[in-house]
Amino acid sequence: MKRWGLLFVLVCLWGGSSLAADKPLLTVYTYDSFASWGPAGRIEELFEATHDVDVQFVALGDSRAMLTRLQRERQAGKQGADVFLGIEASDLARRGIEGLFLPLSSDEIPHLATVSQDLLLDETLSLVPYEHGYITLVYDSHEIETDGLARTFDELLDPTYVRSLILEDPRTSSPGLSFLLWTIIQFGDPGYLDFWRALMPNVLTIAGGWGEAYDLYLAGEAPMVVSFSTDTAYSVIAGGDAHHRVMLLENQGYRNVYFMGIVEGTEQRELAAGFIDLVLSAEIQELIPTTEWMFPANREALLPVQFYQHAVTPPDAAMMDPSEVAENLDRWLREWSAVVIGG
Amino acid sequence: MSPRRIHRLLIAGLPLAFLAMAFYLPVGRLFYDALRVEGRFSLEPVRAILTDPYVLRVIGFTAKQALLSTLLSVAIGLPWAYIFTRYRFPGRRLLRSLTIVPFVLPAITVAVGFILFFGNNGHLNRMLMDLFGLSRPPLSVLYSLRGIVLAHAFYNAPLITRLVHAQWETIDPAYEESAQSLGAGRLRRFVGITLPSLMPGLMTGAALAFIFCFLSFPIVLALGGARFSTVEVEIFTRFVVLFQEDSGAVLALVEIILSLLFTFGYLWLEGRFSRPVLSIVRHPTAHLFRRWTVGKVLLWLFISVSGVLFLGPIVSVVVDSFTRVWGGETMVTVHWYRTILSPDYSALIGTSPLGAIGNSLRFALGAMVLAVSVGMPMAYVVARFRFRGRRLFDTLTMASLGVSSVALGAALLSAFLRPPLMLANGVVAIILAHSILAYPFVVRAIVPVLEGLRRGPIEAARTLGASPMRAFLDVELPLVRRAVLVGAVFAFAVSLGEMSATILLAQPEWKTMPLVVNDLRAARSFGGASAMSCLLMVATSCAFLFIDRSGERVLGGGRWRK
Repeated sequence: MKRWGLLFVLVCLWGGSSLAADKPLLTVYTYDSFASWGPAGRIEELFEATHDVDVQFVALGDSRAMLTRLQRERQAGKQGADVFLGIEASDLARRGIEGLFLPLSSDEIPHLATVSQDLLLDETLSLVPYEHGYITLVYDSHEIETDGLARTFDELLDPTYVRSLILEDPRTSSPGLSFLLWTIIQFGDPGYLDFWRALMPNVLTIAGGWGEAYDLYLAGEAPMVVSFSTDTAYSVIAGGDAHHRVMLLENQGYRNVYFMGIVEGTEQRELAAGFIDLVLSAEIQELIPTTEWMFPANREALLPVQFYQHAVTPPDAAMMDPSEVAENLDRWLREWSAVVIGG
Repeated sequence: MSPRRIHRLLIAGLPLAFLAMAFYLPVGRLFYDALRVEGRFSLEPVRAILTDPYVLRVIGFTAKQALLSTLLSVAIGLPWAYIFTRYRFPGRRLLRSLTIVPFVLPAITVAVGFILFFGNNGHLNRMLMDLFGLSRPPLSVLYSLRGIVLAHAFYNAPLITRLVHAQWETIDPAYEESAQSLGAGRLRRFVGITLPSLMPGLMTGAALAFIFCFLSFPIVLALGGARFSTVEVEIFTRFVVLFQEDSGAVLALVEIILSLLFTFGYLWLEGRFSRPVLSIVRHPTAHLFRRWTVGKVLLWLFISVSGVLFLGPIVSVVVDSFTRVWGGETMVTVHWYRTILSPDYSALIGTSPLGAIGNSLRFALGAMVLAVSVGMPMAYVVARFRFRGRRLFDTLTMASLGVSSVALGAALLSAFLRPPLMLANGVVAIILAHSILAYPFVVRAIVPVLEGLRRGPIEAARTLGASPMRAFLDVELPLVRRAVLVGAVFAFAVSLGEMSATILLAQPEWKTMPLVVNDLRAARSFGGASAMSCLLMVATSCAFLFIDRSGERVLGGGRWRK
């Protein structure tokens, strides 16, 4: 009797899986927050309503972890994902990214026409931008007077700021890397190392990730943190207060653009292109500000009022050329480590 | 071949075949690929790494913090083992089951707890400032080696406590009693008799704690900061950020060799101290709350200080999960619990938090059963068989703990995509990966106790005609049951806390509890992450209580109690 029961269950499982296999499956690798709190849910809903497809988001870690998974799977000859969403501008020219994504044409993605030209950093269109944002300093206006605020990198070295700054490690965190690249643009190579040496007394700690850094900042451990220019908008909309404010150094922010692409070898190219086009549509792009806390790539997307009022767009954007990053990252991280560790 | 040899080969062969397939070959392949320069095998990459002064400095710091962390873990764990063995108090069994909870907490939860409690602006400092009217925070714990070492002790002292306690219960109190009747003082008895008999368990615990701290990564960065990075951070950078898999793998190779060298040293020491003890006899216990002596006062002082270390961060996370800042006002609320338990939380994608609890417990149960099935025969081989290179073999059973989690994740992911393991994809892959990380705990927990057993009762059973199997099941197993249980509990705990391999192998619907904690944080829901951490603590506490209770029953041996 028991055995028949088992057989029944097996048959049901078999039946279940073959039923699901009727529809084509579109697998999208992305990072955890995009899937659980970002617009992924709405994207899946809309895309499945208009296409005969089953969309599956796989997002078990941050985008680096998912990229590692994608690279490994490809090495072993497995097509794990059809679309990858979450590549940063600084990674565009990297060796590990090369050849991973299919070049696209603008005919395939009609909504590309709505994307600001300055975001289209990849000429082959293997990678298409879907959002962008700025790394800036964020400070607690209860702790730091707005008049006495540092306005340049050099003013940040002022001894009144001793142990007042929380940074992220460029080796393990994306905002951390952006900040390092920003200092290299500002002070040149190798001048940036002198700046870091001088900065260290004012640094309380360099946390492993943005989350830990922001935790420390919220816990009142230090009044300044490297974070995003949309943080005031976030704390107004999600927390009802505006005392976490953006601090612009040199009237700049370090600009980061985030990309998606179709994974080489996919059998669902058409569906994948349709998916990418949907992500760029105004309907989805208008969700980006208050789920991703980033600026949409689509110029026509309307921003929510409070986001528009409080999210800061720096007058001037700093950005390192991706090919320069690819060429030097290894050395920069090594030099940076040697200065900071044990320093 | 004699039946005896076949029997031995089977005991050793099956688990070894499993480990070869699921661990040694995948990881070996990774290292082998890394050491091939232009198609030829070369040690040049290793030499290059070992002559880089920066890498050497990082290795030096890694070893130093691991050593200090191990010492502090022992200093806290050993007295607690003493308390559990020698004192009775209400809730003793409950507390003993719960000691393991810190060990499973995601690094990020511990980091948050430490920040909220020990931070310059944390509860402890603010309390002390109010109490003594100070204007500056008196304790500076974070952003220094102190914070790292304290957090590592938070994780590893429970490990020492459980292992030493399991060993302590196998020591016949008669030895101490006769020493006492011969006039030996308390200290003399402890140093001369108890400590040497405890050495195997203590050394084992210290070895495991050391390896853990040696490979530690997120805790070090969160509480110490980048100024204190370890080898593991360097490996992560090379693998994941720089896409330099080969140099990452070479560094991982250096790391595993170092941690195995340390292990070898510990095991050698353990072997020197191991001495036969009798069987599980209930120790005479004193009541913890009665008869106040100077010693008792000191003991209570220790309990209070270590209580602050363990409860402070945990309570801070619990408090955090019930508070919400809105418009600058702090409120007490169940908002975060409502958020994460609401049905529309990731209704479309992945797993709900409750589903994640189910997943975690299921994977942990599977990994525990597999780890015990593999670990028990391995422990038997190490403790009972005599062969050349036994110590080396014993050391190698620890290899999966000494491997960098980044490198192991990469090796396993590749292995699970190729035959023969590609058949075991999905849930099975995760359970296999977890059990590989978990089985060394089973081996390490059992070996010292098994080695310490007197052969008398076993030989008696054999003389009376019992087969080796029967003698093992009826005589040895009940005698080592507490050790098996401790190993199983830690196997369960390792699986619950594992993240890096899970991220690479899992499908969205199999998200585990720590992954959901991360998820919530990535989405800026810090309160939600704290609430999820609390659910994790409750779920794991219940699981450990259940395992401890039912494990004692299943492994039997009640009749061996006097």
